[in-house]
Amino acid sequence: MPGVVLKALAKRYGDVGAVDGLSLEVKPGELLALLGPSGCGKTTTLRLVAGFLAPEAGEIWVGDRCLSSPASVVPPERRRMAMIFQSYALWPHMTVAQNVAYGLRFKPGLSRGDREARVREMLRVVQLAGYETRYPGELSGGQQQRVAVARALVVEPEILLLDEPLSNLDANLREEMRFEIRRLHETFGNTTLYVTHDQAEAMVISDRIAVLKAGKVAQTGTADDLYHRPRTRFVAEFIGRTNVVDGVAVARDTVAHLNVRLRVAAADLAPGSRVALSIRPHQVRLGAPGDAADGANSFRGSVRRAAFLGDSVDYEIAVADSDLVLRAAAAPTPRLPVGAAVGLTIEPAACVPLAESDLS
Amino acid sequence: MDRSIPVWVGAALALVVLMVLPLGWLAWLSVSGEHGTTLTHYRDVFTDPALRRALWNTVVLAFWVGLVSVAIGAPLAWLTARTDVPRPGLIRGLVLASFVTPPFLGAFAWVMLAGPNAGILNTFWRSATGAREPLLNIFTMPGLIFIVSIYTFPYVYIMVANTLALIASDLEEAAAILGAGRLAVARTVTLPMVLPALASGFILAVLQALALFGSPAILALPAGFHTVTTQIWSLFQFPPKVEQAAAFSIPLLLATALLLQVQKRLLGRRGYAAVGGKGGQRRTIPLGRWRWPALGACLAVMSCAIFLPYGVLAKAAFSRAWAQPLSRDNLTLGNVTFTFFDYGSTRAAIVNTLELGVMTACIGAAMVAVLSYVTNRKLVIGHQVVAFLALAPVVVPGVVLAVGLFIAYTRPPFVLYGTLWILFLAYLTKEMPVGYAQADATFRAIPADLEDAGRVLGAGRLRILREITAPLAKSGIIAAWCFIFIGVIRELSASILLFTPNTKVMSVVIFDLKEEGQFGAISVLGLVMLALTFATVALVQAALGRDVLGARR
Repeated sequence: MPGVVLKALAKRYGDVGAVDGLSLEVKPGELLALLGPSGCGKTTTLRLVAGFLAPEAGEIWVGDRCLSSPASVVPPERRRMAMIFQSYALWPHMTVAQNVAYGLRFKPGLSRGDREARVREMLRVVQLAGYETRYPGELSGGQQQRVAVARALVVEPEILLLDEPLSNLDANLREEMRFEIRRLHETFGNTTLYVTHDQAEAMVISDRIAVLKAGKVAQTGTADDLYHRPRTRFVAEFIGRTNVVDGVAVARDTVAHLNVRLRVAAADLAPGSRVALSIRPHQVRLGAPGDAADGANSFRGSVRRAAFLGDSVDYEIAVADSDLVLRAAAAPTPRLPVGAAVGLTIEPAACVPLAESDLS
Repeated sequence: MDRSIPVWVGAALALVVLMVLPLGWLAWLSVSGEHGTTLTHYRDVFTDPALRRALWNTVVLAFWVGLVSVAIGAPLAWLTARTDVPRPGLIRGLVLASFVTPPFLGAFAWVMLAGPNAGILNTFWRSATGAREPLLNIFTMPGLIFIVSIYTFPYVYIMVANTLALIASDLEEAAAILGAGRLAVARTVTLPMVLPALASGFILAVLQALALFGSPAILALPAGFHTVTTQIWSLFQFPPKVEQAAAFSIPLLLATALLLQVQKRLLGRRGYAAVGGKGGQRRTIPLGRWRWPALGACLAVMSCAIFLPYGVLAKAAFSRAWAQPLSRDNLTLGNVTFTFFDYGSTRAAIVNTLELGVMTACIGAAMVAVLSYVTNRKLVIGHQVVAFLALAPVVVPGVVLAVGLFIAYTRPPFVLYGTLWILFLAYLTKEMPVGYAQADATFRAIPADLEDAGRVLGAGRLRILREITAPLAKSGIIAAWCFIFIGVIRELSASILLFTPNTKVMSVVIFDLKEEGQFGAISVLGLVMLALTFATVALVQAALGRDVLGARR
């Protein structure tokens, strides 16, 4: 099972650089999500890997084969990959079984019986046994999705590519299919590249996530890494909700926003430089005014707005004597009314300094 | 009670009378004898060897026209829809031009181009090679098939191009990534998906060939053979054998209805719009070094359908002798003055044509607007029947319709024969499906929500129609008007049976002039007809903001 290596890929559409010096490694057997807002180049990257597009610079390697370079591109049909399309791209004139069996036609050395057995087995795995003779038009969205998955997996591809495969499903089904795709990945262990703009989807499904911005990789890491140790404002805001506090370093480990001072754990800041901090809402702890924990950053503030979300309450807290407004996620009880005076506590470890500027 | 109801019911009833009267009489007369019902007319018709030959000729003609139209239309559609062939807009424009060119004009032009004796191409061939035999003889079955095909292939083109435009590239890429090479993708994915459109384009082309009167009359009669339509026409010549003509019309009617049913089935099966949601981009296939040869092939086809015929019409219109080279002595405006001032019936015919065109288009557009509104919003009980009736004339070839109208309106309660009204009814009936289809598409694109939103705020239905629906539907209805107008000014096959000396129209005069060998005058009138047609097409394009052939750019 080979991995995929992308080396400084570039592809332009007219004047727009859709992919602009992108480097990435997908390890053998790993499921890597390409995550980013629309227009960040993630689909272009996937189509480059699939061989539908030729790069203008850079190379794509699978194992020890160089599949794409500006000089030559191995055509899609000889890449031993499979792809699941956003539209599913099921052929409406073929039955479910014919759709799934299609890729096996191009595998030498398979008898008709072998093929039928593999199609049957794969349809069982995706829970579509009994649907062999239906046409795609006669299936629900979720079932069509499963056919698309079966069609891609049955050929045992070296590399599996998925292009926003869940974006056409409704919310419930989408949640269910996330776990289903993860389960299938754990069963088959294909090296997989998964394009999505949905951060929750990327976090559930993938081993690692590459966050893309403007045709480049902004940060790569596990969901945990990206959430707790974002390197840029873009990543911090794209993965989950966060408070970004702009300030100036007044000591190696302290950032000041006007007269609010925040201590930062394990940092080596250059005093006088501008620093932005990311603080996750659930790490802003609320208590009685005047509460202070040892070594933590403590402030007074008042509740400006509160929204009950069921398993938590989303507060906006105005920090006293400053223009700073922080969002805090707290347990539903005790409920704090709007206008209530509160004490805020933020551990230094929860203040993550971000790179001064984003890649762009 | 809703005050708008009489409008809907009235329009629906008018449609019923319009459709049922002629076809009912046609069917009735075909089986009525002096003593009650009889099948003798059918027996007479189908045992007469001459009529059986005409039937067989029609089958041969229609089948080959279908095949040739597919052979021309399908590759052209693929080139313009899916490849990077140069100037796709030009090719589409030329296909459109061929679509709206009256086929009988094309046939006339090709008589001048490839008539065995004086045809320009044959003269050229003889002088170039010294041969004595003509290169081409247009007065033959292959000649007829060729002429009909070059003006019929746009039906296949439209079907295939619009289908190709629906097939997302995803579907082909999905096959490629699973290991299918280019040929395998075309064979296993693209072709099967276009097949219903191909077959249905084939059927549309066959139907055109079945119903056509002008080209066979111009090319087959001099060659000494008949088709069903020319045969029906000759049964109407003095002394008219109306019952036999009716009996001979019925099989044509049934064949058309059957073929259309098959076509509907083909298109309905499995539906070929891509399943699943988004995506669905279409990417063009690079032709590489075949780009310019491909354009050349397209232009070669188009020179048969457009450049050569239009050229020879223009030449003949302004020269004393059309077969002679264009020199200063040969140039003249004499044909123009002859056509408009000396020849008796021309001016009256142009006036009649325009009058009928405008009247039919106005009343027709109003009717299809109301009818399609009724069927789209389901305003009367039996709205499905209304939709069916509005589209039903598609199955009635012009000649057959004329026979029905002739029978229906030469006897009480409506005696209209000899007036323009019978032509008006013929045109209104014949163009109803085209207009209805256009109006139907228009209303389908206007969600009922837009109207309901107004009604909730307190406006009545008629007010909503005036203030909300009409402005939104305007361009679509103008397009319907234009389609009907274009259909009327070129109509020949029904007119040829229904005209009387006082009610000639342009197409009939052209046909008369041909009997007299007045090619110059024919060309002048033909150019007038083409100019009218293209001006109207330009109006549609402006109204719709897209080209008439259907697919968005």
